[in-house]
Amino acid sequence: MNIVVLVKQVPDTWSERRLRADDSTLDRDAADAVINELDDYAIEEGLRLQEAHGGEVTIVSMGPQKAADAIRKALSMGADKAVHVTDEALRGSDGLVTSAVLASVLGRTGFDLVILGSESTDARMGTLAAMLAERLGVPQMSFASKVETDGSKITIHRQADYGYDTVEGALPAVVSVVEKINEPRYPSFKGIMAAKKKPVETLSLADLGMDASQAGLAASATQVVSFANRPPRAAGTIVTDEGDGGAKAAEFLASRKFI
Amino acid sequence: MNFTETDEQVALRAAVADLGRKYGYAYFTRQARTGGRLTELWQEAGALGFIGVNLPAEYGGGGAGLYELSIVLEELAAAGCGLLMMVVSPAICGTILARFGTPEQKQRWLPKIASGSAIMAFGITEPDAGSNAHKLTTVATRDGDSWVLTGRKIYISGVDEAEAVLIVGRTADSKTGTLRPALFAVPTDAPGFSFQPLEMDVLMPEKQHLLFLDEVRLPADALVGEEGAALLQLFAGLNPERIMASAMAVGSARYALAKAVGYAKERTVWSVPIGAHQGLAHPLAQVKIELELARLMMQKAAVLYDAGDDMAAGEAANMAKYAAAEASIRVVDQAIQSLGGSSMTSEVGLAAMLANVRTTRIAPVSREMILNFVAQHSLGLPKSY
Ligand SMILES: Cc1cc2nc3c(=O)[nH]c(=O)nc-3n(C[C@H](O)[C@H](O)[C@H](O)COP(=O)(O)OP(=O)(O)OC[C@H]3O[C@@H](n4cnc5c(N)ncnc54)[C@H](O)[C@@H]3O)c2cc1C
Repeated sequence: MNIVVLVKQVPDTWSERRLRADDSTLDRDAADAVINELDDYAIEEGLRLQEAHGGEVTIVSMGPQKAADAIRKALSMGADKAVHVTDEALRGSDGLVTSAVLASVLGRTGFDLVILGSESTDARMGTLAAMLAERLGVPQMSFASKVETDGSKITIHRQADYGYDTVEGALPAVVSVVEKINEPRYPSFKGIMAAKKKPVETLSLADLGMDASQAGLAASATQVVSFANRPPRAAGTIVTDEGDGGAKAAEFLASRKFI
Repeated sequence: MNFTETDEQVALRAAVADLGRKYGYAYFTRQARTGGRLTELWQEAGALGFIGVNLPAEYGGGGAGLYELSIVLEELAAAGCGLLMMVVSPAICGTILARFGTPEQKQRWLPKIASGSAIMAFGITEPDAGSNAHKLTTVATRDGDSWVLTGRKIYISGVDEAEAVLIVGRTADSKTGTLRPALFAVPTDAPGFSFQPLEMDVLMPEKQHLLFLDEVRLPADALVGEEGAALLQLFAGLNPERIMASAMAVGSARYALAKAVGYAKERTVWSVPIGAHQGLAHPLAQVKIELELARLMMQKAAVLYDAGDDMAAGEAANMAKYAAAEASIRVVDQAIQSLGGSSMTSEVGLAAMLANVRTTRIAPVSREMILNFVAQHSLGLPKSY
């Protein structure tokens, strides 16, 4: 099976993240870059399906030079090869542009199954799977907490508030996964050493037959118009327990709509 | 000279740090307080090839160096769950076996040590011979094809978890009768070998033991390396020990410092976070510098060791152990001060960590013995003993 896993490098969720003052795009230098958390699950699922059905796992990532680190991590977990799309002109691309670029890459690699995380921790749009499936003309199977396939048909558990739906479709398909799907492996030392010898193809927009005017902030349909920094954390409220501490705590939680 | 780690070393750091986060200091203290061990972490790290990164690839190791092994221990300790037995099993015993063992001994022990499926402890300290190894009284005598070992050892870590202990004994030269050190791999189930745990006031899951060797009969191939060359072999193992002890201390100190800094940014007693007061900020900055200096010397020692320069590595490893002990004690002490009363709670566990890093000033070699070494070997000063 030809499995492609999409991987994105994002600023570490644990570090302070900022937007740039000049064009309101993400300030990638302000925070440590890590692999998008959900992508670990997507890679793991790809590797498990490969272990069960054979074939190859290819990592595809669009991002700056530095995204090579995220790709290397995916390769060290066990993926076979990678394609890295990197081009200065891509900076600031929104979901629509990103999906066009990735669809073009997928046209080159071919695929039976495309696996991706259901959202990235930076933009949190969660729309890429749908856009890609539409562009590729294949079914989208979203929010999968379980994936099964016999090589021609694919069945997933689609996570929902009430439990899950069982959704069936035909391959080729695009599947987005949620955290519940598996427990991602850690790269082993052997995997880390092997990653350095695995092929990584680097492509520019021109290599994909695309023009710079089709990419980046200017070509994007959505843009950040304005933003405000999160207000500094205010001091907490201290409730003195005069026998009614429980009730006061419940009152507070209710006022914030937690209960 | 190069201060940039390779992509693989950076990736190893990240992978080990991830694994460490899964367990953390809460796991470490819980296991220590309930008499448990760090077995799950040990085995998972072993399966990922982290425990044996320094051992030869042909015997199941990672084929990398001590630098990589120190990365593993530093990152686990920085996550709060350093594995003490890494100082012993792959670093001391694995190194000695890989460098001086016969092909049969390597085949027998290295794959197990590398995968973590077996632990080899190390016993040199005796009740009457700690810092002074010339006073070792564990003696091996030849009896036909066998060795017969008799003696006592003290403070030996992890014997209860180990499949064997690498015992430093002495053999009598058949002609002159002078005693010369020799190393023996003694299975923990050998008849005549027994041990009991010591009650210790340091909070770590690895227990220290008193060992009794009562005419333990061992086959000829229990002798590791050559009879006469044991001193050299011993030093080959002790440099990795010192570097790894430094890695453990540096990692623990990183944990404590991160804890202190996190707290100092959040905790507000007057109108600003306490980290804004120079009374706290400067001491934290100071210990950060001391910690980085110690870490740098540890890395220098590891690089020299991996380059095959045992002599230069020896001096650097001793200096690194000295610096790492002093820096980690100061870091944890300052972290305790920064956290105020909460530092003394069991949940935070910094008081317990202070005893652990404090041990590094004594073991595996005491501060004074390092100063003696530097005074004599680096400075050429005369000896008092
Ligand atoms: C937690 C823990 C784990 C351990 N694990 C192991 C293990 O796995 N295997 C093992 O073999 N050992 C182990 N040890 C033992 C450790 O290596 C020894 O405690 C250490 O080498 C010091 O020896 P000692 O305790 O006999 O002190 P001593 O040698 O009795 O020294 C006592 C004091 O005198 C000082 N001193 C001695 N001689 C001189 C001198 N010439 N000049 C100045 N000062 C001097 C020392 O520095 C020290 O401060 C462990 C110890 C601890 C605490």
